[in-house]
Formats: sequence, structure tokens, C-alpha cells
Amino acid sequence: MIKNIGYIVLILFGVACGSDKEDYVPINNNPALEFTIPSNFPEPTYNVTLNPPTEKGFELGKKLFYDGRLSSDGVISCGFCHIQDFAFTHHTHIVSHGVNGALGTRNAQSLHNLAFMKEFTWDGAAIHLDLQPIIPITAEVEMNESFSSIIKKLEERPEYVKLFAEAFEDQKINSENLLKALSQFMIMMISSNSKYDKIERNEGSVFTADEAAGFELFTSKCASCHTGTLLTDQSYRNNGLSVDPEYNDIGRNRVTGLAADLHKFKVPTLRNIELTFPYMHDGRLKTLKDVLDHYSDGMVDSETIDPIFKNIDGTVMGIPMTEEEKNQIISFLKTLTDDNFVNDNRFSEF
Amino acid sequence: MKKLTLIVLALITIISCKDDDPNIVEENNTPQFGALDIDFTNKVGSDLLILNTESYDNQSNENYTVSELKYIISNIVLIKENGDEFIYPVADSYFLINEEVSSSKQISLSNIDTGMYTKIKFGIGVDQSNYPLNGVANFIPTAEEQGMLWSWSAGYKFVKFEGSFTPQGGTASDFLLHIGSHGEVLDNYKEITLDLSNAITIENELTSNLTIDTDVAKIFDSTNTHSLQQKSDVQVDPVNAPILAENISTMFTISTSN
Repeated sequence: MIKNIGYIVLILFGVACGSDKEDYVPINNNPALEFTIPSNFPEPTYNVTLNPPTEKGFELGKKLFYDGRLSSDGVISCGFCHIQDFAFTHHTHIVSHGVNGALGTRNAQSLHNLAFMKEFTWDGAAIHLDLQPIIPITAEVEMNESFSSIIKKLEERPEYVKLFAEAFEDQKINSENLLKALSQFMIMMISSNSKYDKIERNEGSVFTADEAAGFELFTSKCASCHTGTLLTDQSYRNNGLSVDPEYNDIGRNRVTGLAADLHKFKVPTLRNIELTFPYMHDGRLKTLKDVLDHYSDGMVDSETIDPIFKNIDGTVMGIPMTEEEKNQIISFLKTLTDDNFVNDNRFSEF
Repeated sequence: MKKLTLIVLALITIISCKDDDPNIVEENNTPQFGALDIDFTNKVGSDLLILNTESYDNQSNENYTVSELKYIISNIVLIKENGDEFIYPVADSYFLINEEVSSSKQISLSNIDTGMYTKIKFGIGVDQSNYPLNGVANFIPTAEEQGMLWSWSAGYKFVKFEGSFTPQGGTASDFLLHIGSHGEVLDNYKEITLDLSNAITIENELTSNLTIDTDVAKIFDSTNTHSLQQKSDVQVDPVNAPILAENISTMFTISTSN
């Protein structure tokens, strides 16, 4: 009898809880990706816990990044202007190129270490990484597309229906998930293995004599704006470029409307700077030497020029440098190139 | 023995499913939800706003017609007399009111906790502290189709008010007022709390109604006075946008509630 009760009990266990077992989904086929902060880096500004990168989210973000469907002519993807070999800039293009041969007004910025940046684009128009893609996607001279149209196009592609469902709990193809996926891809794009990093982290690399001299010069002449490990203080400044009448780009003023922000642009990171030519917000300077020549001899006075470039009597001083010093600084700048990053298959289109 | 068997069986049945039980709520405790329709009536003073054909005067002696009026209503909260708040799910809480589209002027809220509410709180625009990751990004397609995105700045226009005006003794010209936040530098998002003179009661499976009047004359003349002759084109304007945003926050009143 006792034995019989035992069997019945076993059966009851099964029956009583049977219905709950069917709801249980045991397989997690979308593992989390590890977001590792390099030991010489600051804390990220991106709240990774609110959009933790996963394998599927990253895969989706990468697919979107390289998909021309995000533009109105089906050709211009994010990756069209942000090419990995050149630290995700538009190599040799002075200003960005858009749909049907349209030309933008600014030079495509490099993409790396975005999880550590506070604001995005040359004028800081995007206050969060998740919002940044709205600008190039909707700009007429860039991708010239609307989110409703993109969502419609993606819904027609079974591979996207599947990926969105795998990557996000609500399984939906919508703008929120699209932007989150792009961010998951972009925050993983960390460039932290340049020679400079290895020296900063005491991993056995050492500067050559020229690089060391350049680093010392850089620290005294450039690092007040190109500060810290990210080589930018993320501020907006007028660095004495003349106003190009073709674009008449008002810079940060477009975002804030403040007269004090006229012709100010974000201090860019200098990581991978050797690869990201041409330089400045409008790509007007072709080489690093041109950039240093601008700072030593080419600056133009204006209402909003950064006071750091001025003498006490108000005249423009620029950054005095000898030719030898410029060469040494350039030697140092080249230690910021991260070959691992530009060759990292995880971020490659193919 | 049979009795013992039954007791054991009963006990085991209960114990084995104990963890799942909290999901089952007793019948009389089933949460009750009702719905609320909010109608926005756009007016100029006490008259209904009529686009294009009707003209109005502001206190700066400017005669104006309105060609376009759009605004974003967001973050709706219903408040009970004791201060308890029913916060409508933020991701579903973004609405675009467009004078031209009558269906847009009615907001339908569902699954509201039943009870008596004495106040309503809502936002004009998009709260920057909510950026992003709370479903707000899903409002992008609507805002985009309605021209409420500043394409170059990844931000929303909170209010779009356009038309033409004629100053006294002058000639007609267009005005264009676009109010939104300017990056992280200037936040023009406003929250408005209105007292419901007649409290609304949300009842199970029933729809209550609320009508809010929006007096656009207040955009020019309220806390501040804005003359179009002085500034007729306001888009990312750090001086005039906050002045207008302040006026906009005074343009809503409760008309009827039941």
C-alpha cells in the first residue's frame, strides 16, 4: 500500500505542476557579451546595464551598420562613410557622401570608444549614443531615410525578423530596438591596444627617443584640450580655422543657439589619428603636418577663438612649434594607432 | 489508511505547486481597470481655433492667422486626492496633437487603475531625463512623419506653431515658432498639473472622458509677452524659446470631465 501511495504521489507531482512546465523556456541562445573596460580607461558614460550587449544584439547591430537599406537609395550604409581600415572614417573624403551623390558639409568622424563619450557629432547634437544614428539616417544629404520606411523594409526580410526576435525580449522590429542594436555594436568597438596604451599600462612597450620627445611636447602644448587617455576633454572650441564661405558652418551654435558657441566644434579624440585624414570638421587639412602648421602659423582671430591661443595683449599666438618639434609630435601621434582595432574581424563587414 | 493517503496526497499537491501560487489572485481581488479619453480642443481665447481662414489679434497689436499647430503630450500621470499617482506606462505615453487631424486630438488611455482622480499631470515635449531606452525611441516614426524631429540635432520639436502675421500698419509676413530642447544646454520640456474641478472616476471596463482646452493665444500673451515683429522665427533660440515655453505651459485648462 505504502508503495502504491509512493507511485500516486509521483504521478501527482507531475500532474499538479505539468501546466507550469510548458511555459518554461530553458534555452538561452542569446548569450551576453562581455563589455570590458580597459584598465587605463575611465568609467564609461554609456549605461551598459540598460542595454547590455548580447551576441544576437551585436550581430544585428553590425548587420544594420553595414546595410544600405538604412538609406533611401539602398546604397549608403553607416559603414559607407565609416570604414574600419581607417578607424571608421571616410578615408580621403573631405566631407561625407550621401545618397545619389549628395555631399555633406562635415568630415565623417572616426568611431571608437563611443561608450566613453558624453555627446556625439562635431557639434554635440546627439546627447546619447542611441540617438546619434537618427542624424545621419534622416539627413537629406546623408542617408535621407525615415524610420518608418526602414522598419517596413526590415519587416520584409526574414533574416531581420529572426534576428530582432532573438536579440530582444519583445522580439519587435521598431526604432527603439534598431537603435539599441546599433549601440550594442558600437559600444563594443573599443580601441585600446595602441603602443601608447601598452606604455600606459606598463605592458613592456617603450617610446623611441623621438616619440618620447613628442609625448613631452604634446603634454605641454596639446594636452590641455586633448586630455587624458581618450585624448579629448570633450569640450567645444574654436581652434582658429577661417570660416569656409562654401559651408559657413556655425558649429556648436546650431545646437545651442548661443552666440558664444559660434564656430566651435568638438575637440576630437586623437586615437588612430594617423589613419583618419583628412582633418578638422570639414576635412580641409590633408596631413598631420598641415594640422600642426595650422596651429603654429595658420590661426585666424575671431570673436570666439579659444583664449588659450591668445597672447595677453589679445593677439593670436597659436601654438609655437619648431619643425623638429612638429616631427617629434607626429612621431608620438603615430603611437596612437591601434592595428588590432582596425583589423579586428568582429567589426568587419565581411 | 485511506484517509492518511488522501491527506498525504492533498498536502503534496499543495506543497508541490507552492511556488507558482502567488500568480493566482483570489476572485474578489482581481485588479480593475478602466479607460480614459482625453480630448484636446485648440482655441484662441474662447473661440475655436480655425486654421488659415480666421485671423486673431495678440496684445502686441499684431493680427495673425495660424497655418499649423502641433504639440507633443507626454508622461501622463493621474493623481488621487491622497496624492497617489497612477503613472501611465512611459513608452505608451507619447502623443502628437495636430490641429489638422481630428483623430490626433483625442488621446485614449487604457488599463488605468480604477478610482477617483483629482489631478492630471502631463508633459509638453520629450523629457530629456527619459532619453532614451524607455520606449521613447518608438515615437520617432510618428514625430518624423509629422515633421517634429530636428533632423540635424536628434531632438524633438515639442511645439510647432506657424502662420502669418501683420503688425499694425505693416505688411504680412510668416511666423515660425519651433520650441524644443537644445542639446543638454537648455531643457524646454515642461510639466503641467491641472486640478480637475470635477474629479474623474475611473470605473472597471468603462471609459471616462476629459476635455482639455488649449488656448494658443497664451503662446503670445501670458506670463511673458512675445511680439512677432520682434522675433517671428524661433528655432533653437536660447532667448525666445524658454520665454515661449513658459507661456506654453500656461495654455492648458480643464474644460469638462466626467
